[in-house]
Amino acid sequence: MKKVFVVSVLLLASLVMVTAAVAQKAVTLKIGINAEITGDIPKVGEATKFAAQMWLEDVNKAGGIEVGGKKYKVELAIEDNESKAESAAKAATKLITVDDVIAIVGPQASKQAVPAGEVCNNYKTPMITGWSTNPNTTKDRPYVFRACFLDDFQGPALSIFAKGEYKFTKAAVLYDVASDYPKGLAEFFKKDWEKKNGPGSVVAYESFTTKDTDFSSQLTKIINSGAEFLFTPQYYNEVPLIVQQAKQLGWKKPILGSDSWASDELVKLCGKDCNGFFFVSHYASAGAKGATKEFIDRYKSKFGYVPDDVAALTWDAIGLIGQAIKNAGTITGDVKKDREAVRKALANTKNFPGITGTISFPPGSGDPIKCANIVKINDKGEFEFYKTACP
Amino acid sequence: MSTPKDIQSTPRRFGRLWRFFQEVPLLGWLTGALAAVLAEQFVGLDLAHLVDLPKIPVLFGFENALKKPELIPGTVLYILMIYLAPTLLVGRLLQLPANRVAGFLARRWPVASVVFHLALLYAVLHIWSDINDYRVIVVKITLIAVMLTLSLNVINGYMGEFSCSHPGFMALGAYAGSVVTIVLFTNSSMYGPAVLPPAIGPYLFPVALFVGGCVAAVGALAVAIPSFRTRGDYLAIISLAFTFIVKSLIENLEIVGGPRGMRGQPDWSNLPVVFVCTVVCVAVINNFVRSTHGLALNAVRDNEMAAEAMTINTQRTKMIAFLFSAFWAGVAGVLFAHVLRYVNPGTFGLQQLAEVLAMMYFGGLNSIYGSIVGAVSINLMSEMLRPLEIWKWILIPLLLILVMIFRPTGLIAFRDFDPVRLIQPKGKERSKLEA
Repeated sequence: MKKVFVVSVLLLASLVMVTAAVAQKAVTLKIGINAEITGDIPKVGEATKFAAQMWLEDVNKAGGIEVGGKKYKVELAIEDNESKAESAAKAATKLITVDDVIAIVGPQASKQAVPAGEVCNNYKTPMITGWSTNPNTTKDRPYVFRACFLDDFQGPALSIFAKGEYKFTKAAVLYDVASDYPKGLAEFFKKDWEKKNGPGSVVAYESFTTKDTDFSSQLTKIINSGAEFLFTPQYYNEVPLIVQQAKQLGWKKPILGSDSWASDELVKLCGKDCNGFFFVSHYASAGAKGATKEFIDRYKSKFGYVPDDVAALTWDAIGLIGQAIKNAGTITGDVKKDREAVRKALANTKNFPGITGTISFPPGSGDPIKCANIVKINDKGEFEFYKTACP
Repeated sequence: MSTPKDIQSTPRRFGRLWRFFQEVPLLGWLTGALAAVLAEQFVGLDLAHLVDLPKIPVLFGFENALKKPELIPGTVLYILMIYLAPTLLVGRLLQLPANRVAGFLARRWPVASVVFHLALLYAVLHIWSDINDYRVIVVKITLIAVMLTLSLNVINGYMGEFSCSHPGFMALGAYAGSVVTIVLFTNSSMYGPAVLPPAIGPYLFPVALFVGGCVAAVGALAVAIPSFRTRGDYLAIISLAFTFIVKSLIENLEIVGGPRGMRGQPDWSNLPVVFVCTVVCVAVINNFVRSTHGLALNAVRDNEMAAEAMTINTQRTKMIAFLFSAFWAGVAGVLFAHVLRYVNPGTFGLQQLAEVLAMMYFGGLNSIYGSIVGAVSINLMSEMLRPLEIWKWILIPLLLILVMIFRPTGLIAFRDFDPVRLIQPKGKERSKLEA
């Protein structure tokens, strides 16, 4: 009996305590972050989180976002989607219905971004992904946007570069047939290259499967085909293997890559073998100027490493959201109306000065118009901005 | 000073508490839970504000409390007052009428009694998840995981083989079902306009589920036939290979979207559909494993040669088990694809396999209860601990290791699931029923 009494007194006491602690709450704007913090690609999630937190710091230093002459405090709601499609959908639902966010940044990888985009579009919540390049993510979804250019844009950008810079006519492609991203890029590149240089100008079109580590038979075919350069749209962990094996087999010509090369890990794994090669990128860390350089320096001093493209694209994505909130006119406090206003402002974005390029959204599309940066891996193993290519 | 008497009295005191509730039948508990979710529906928000929570805690408060520890007392109070108190009180108060009703139904129409209990369970789930759409998607994914775990248990638990082919079966089902619904009932960019009027689609969704299951079952032949010759590790490798083959196959089939996946499934996997499928799945699998076929599975597991000597056709038994299990995995796959409304071959890989194996071994081999408990607990835990990010992947595996040390066959292994017994009244009414 005594115990029951003690328990009930404790319960009552804590009830009184928490009711007393009720404080006045001001309207805060919440931005959701749906990131791959655990799972296959934790670095992507980490970069997303860090970039968003850095942005939040800036905003809070300025006292919040000013909308219609009034300043609103901003909060981030960060959710881990475990790099799983179903978790990304769950996280998006949670951010929208539980946390009442005004907009969501992420997920970054297409496997997660497509289902999460479905959820966001159904709930009429603006979502912007930094990194996802699958056309399905934004297609027929007025509420879903992206900050990066699409895969089909990288192919032409590269072929313009290879043609303009070297006057090449014969290309070889080596790609992972089992992975969405490399496969798409390889196809887009092949189509564009053959359009410009005539059928059969892709002299070798070789494939392998994810987690293969021996490419010697494909590379031998490529070397024997007489190709003038090799295009391999692989991820940073596979490129060093390909490059090193190609060099062992006697390949001396250029190798070009896609934005998936852009990670410091590439240089670490590759050593000197990758120096002198080019890839298309959203941004380059070495040789950056202005706002890009400022971002890189701050990120580096804060988190101890040079930010990769995910961080830069997240920075732009969340910056786009911030600007859209600013341009939304008024914040009503009714989150559904505010989301609608933010979406409208976001869709009308023109010439947003991002660190990965100037971003505009064409009418009726969530895919931005911007130029590609061609990046060279210089002799010091740094990613150096080389030139822009605008197809 | 604590005396030995004090130490002894603690469990006894809990025992006394339990005795107070031990005659509450399942019907009483379900009514109590219904009262709890109704209370949440009507006064949940007010109470949440009263204990200084910004909103109703969606998953028992874990989603907020782990990030903002100052909300913990409020959350605990909320859980006690909204869930625990009504369930216990109403359950105990209605003990007598609930027992009478359960006894009456069990004597007159046992089938109606089962249906009544299920309807109550569904009402609880529905009202609970009505508060927030996040709960709906969590419940749906959890129920699908229950189906998947259960179907895996038929092979790995009841038949004692180690099969790794479930993500493959699920992928086959998901893709086959998606193709059926997208081709027949939706105007898509991939397959052109709908063949049949989309309005009748929801009524023909069971057809898509059936087709998905059948395609998975046909795929299972590829694993079943080698299983006549190999066992143990070798079968595990063959079935693992099957998963990879299915994944590569889909990745290379441009007609279903290749590695880019397939989008645009109609939104037909709603809560009632998923719930009914899960109930049917549990019922059918339970009847299967308690039938002669199911007992034959156990015989094959315990000693294949002896089983053969006892005139069990082991090949046929294995074949049936594989096809049957794959069928349900396929159905789960169709539902999964229609919840997410997007499928991607990358989803059906090793991670999926690890998860479903973990759910099954955590819950318990050779047991329907075990599969349900395993799937629900792993799913809910992984959802509730999500704010912990990387620590979650230390905590849950740690729990798995502990379970494997202290209960090597899982939490509730080798337990018979008898729904008729489960819904029986307790106390006096039961003795009446038995007499």
